[in-house]
Amino acid sequence: MFDKNYLYKLELKKQEWEEKYKKLKERDAKFVTDSEIPIKPLYTPLDVKGDYFEKVGFPGEPPYTRGPYPNMYRGRHWTMRLFSGHGTPEETNKRWKYLYENGETGFSAAVDALTFNGIDPTNPDGAPEVGTSGVPLYCIDSLFALTENIPIDKVSVALVVEPFTCAPVCSMYFNMAKMRGYDISQLIGTTQNDILTMTVGYIPYKNSPPNHLLRLACDFIEWTVPMKNVPKWHPINFTGYNYREGGIDAIQELGFVFASACSHIDNLIERGWKIDDFVNRLAFHLAAHKDFFEEIAKYRAARRIWAKLMKDRYNAQDTRSLQFRFHVQTAGSSLTAQLPMINIVRTAIQGLEANLGGCQSLHTNSYDEAICLPSEEAALVALRTQQVISDETRITNTIDPLAGSYYIEWLTDEVEERVWKYMDKIEKVGTIDKALSTGWLYKEMRDAFHKRRMRLESGEETMLGVNKYPVSYDTVTDVFRTNEKAIEIEVNRIMKLKERRDNAKLERILDKLRNVCEKEENVMPTVMEATKEGATVQEVCDIYREIYGIWEPPLAI
Amino acid sequence: MSKPGIDGHWRGGIVVSRAIRDAGMELIFGGFQNVQQIAEAAIQEDVDVIGLSIHSGAHFAYTQKLLDLLKERGVLDNIMILLGGVIPAKDFAKLKEMGVANIYGPGSMTSDIVEFIQTHVKK
Repeated sequence: MFDKNYLYKLELKKQEWEEKYKKLKERDAKFVTDSEIPIKPLYTPLDVKGDYFEKVGFPGEPPYTRGPYPNMYRGRHWTMRLFSGHGTPEETNKRWKYLYENGETGFSAAVDALTFNGIDPTNPDGAPEVGTSGVPLYCIDSLFALTENIPIDKVSVALVVEPFTCAPVCSMYFNMAKMRGYDISQLIGTTQNDILTMTVGYIPYKNSPPNHLLRLACDFIEWTVPMKNVPKWHPINFTGYNYREGGIDAIQELGFVFASACSHIDNLIERGWKIDDFVNRLAFHLAAHKDFFEEIAKYRAARRIWAKLMKDRYNAQDTRSLQFRFHVQTAGSSLTAQLPMINIVRTAIQGLEANLGGCQSLHTNSYDEAICLPSEEAALVALRTQQVISDETRITNTIDPLAGSYYIEWLTDEVEERVWKYMDKIEKVGTIDKALSTGWLYKEMRDAFHKRRMRLESGEETMLGVNKYPVSYDTVTDVFRTNEKAIEIEVNRIMKLKERRDNAKLERILDKLRNVCEKEENVMPTVMEATKEGATVQEVCDIYREIYGIWEPPLAI
Repeated sequence: MSKPGIDGHWRGGIVVSRAIRDAGMELIFGGFQNVQQIAEAAIQEDVDVIGLSIHSGAHFAYTQKLLDLLKERGVLDNIMILLGGVIPAKDFAKLKEMGVANIYGPGSMTSDIVEFIQTHVKK
């Protein structure tokens, strides 16, 4: 990007400076990024390689390094979307309204472990966990309660369910919307539908094997977008955040999401769709972790990689297919139960990373994240943290403000190069379901989180309040407890529904679903019928279990 | 090491399992188990310690059920119960009163867990 003679002069001057630097002492520290990229003491124009148009360009234009849209935050701020759900759908509805009144601009349903795994509250194995880690959504009545008096035609809703329960939960949402008189083809929102979240992010409890999960995920993409039932929906959100929280680094995070995205795209192309029919609705969900500059470089590199991948590998023609858009969550695993107020500072810095990196939507964590679901007060502080960034700092005055920093541009290149290499490594193992069923991804996860654990225990990685200036765990803040009556309430809800519904009619639909599953046809139309007639999430998932089997993940210790 | 219930937050249980194994102890990783399965496996394998990894907020319910079952089977005095996960410090006293030997909340060091077992389990 610079004139040759000019760079020569710079090189000489730099050598002079290096001589001075070498004579001075360096702190006893490893100067590397979180993903262990070695970092030089100083970056200059000598580190910035390549052509401006090719590498950086303009926002809204290839290679999209500076952002997917020409106007970015000058047009509108990111969506402030707090992941929330607890106790019962009614209590969650109350929390959603509270946050909405305080300026939240998008909703996101955090579901409980039973909803995640397709287990009804009548099952003793999971009953104590009803509503403890999210909102219970077991039947269509729950969706009515969740969205009562919420303007779902105006505000986007994220349903955080994965491939195994995606069809039943989302079909309940769409059926509820239809019954309320909305045109579902106009609905806006996102389903997480991410195969890796429920396999390597969490351990799945009695879910089906990965090849079927991949197919179920693609059934939902196909039915919503190219089949145009809910064409404005984001039918999948590749959630690097969840596995990043397990301990992998920024390079692996992008490697996992892009390899997974390619497996889904290939599946849809095999079904006869063209790349431009659906790919612009695929969304991403990345982490904002502790390494400030590396995360910003990661977002910029991600946009460039996606544009190249779509153009060079898939020959996408529609420019929207090249635009990488993503939601960010600040890093829960960077927060501590000790010194909870320090979590507000950590979260503010991580939120700033996401915004300087040009995210489309952001969740900021609550200061009580390390010990419980967020209290109302903690959730409000988290929301206000984003509003400090958007309304008080003026960082949104200009687009991609860190572009042109010698360090940021160098680091963006470095991250990109490493991600391409890591993707090759994954793709040598095979499609994403093979990387799971062979256990390869489990070994990658294990190695990553042991390495991170060693870094923490040795003090190489600092966690204030834990391994530096440690304080006792007793000093924690108030603990938010979920409703103890939730089990009773949810069992009653399901009992009432079962009394009301036409069980004979439902049985016929569920039989049809068995047939559809056996033939490996798209499950969505039949699951839409089933949940409309009152099928519960477990009743649909039990059919998957019956036909596809139950999978035991090859965990590595 | 076992995960009672259905919550899939698995990192803690595996990290601690690895540390225990690396310290030269024999470890059985049970994964998801209901309390009956945990008790059954513990008795069959004649274990000294049961580690429960709980991140769901349902630690009282699962722990009480397991303790009742072990008592019923007459093995509670021979087995030490350790708990780890997202467990508020406020709950520690009650859990210890119930019969849990120690609880490891967020930010615990695996070396402390290993040391506790080595000190308290007589071989």
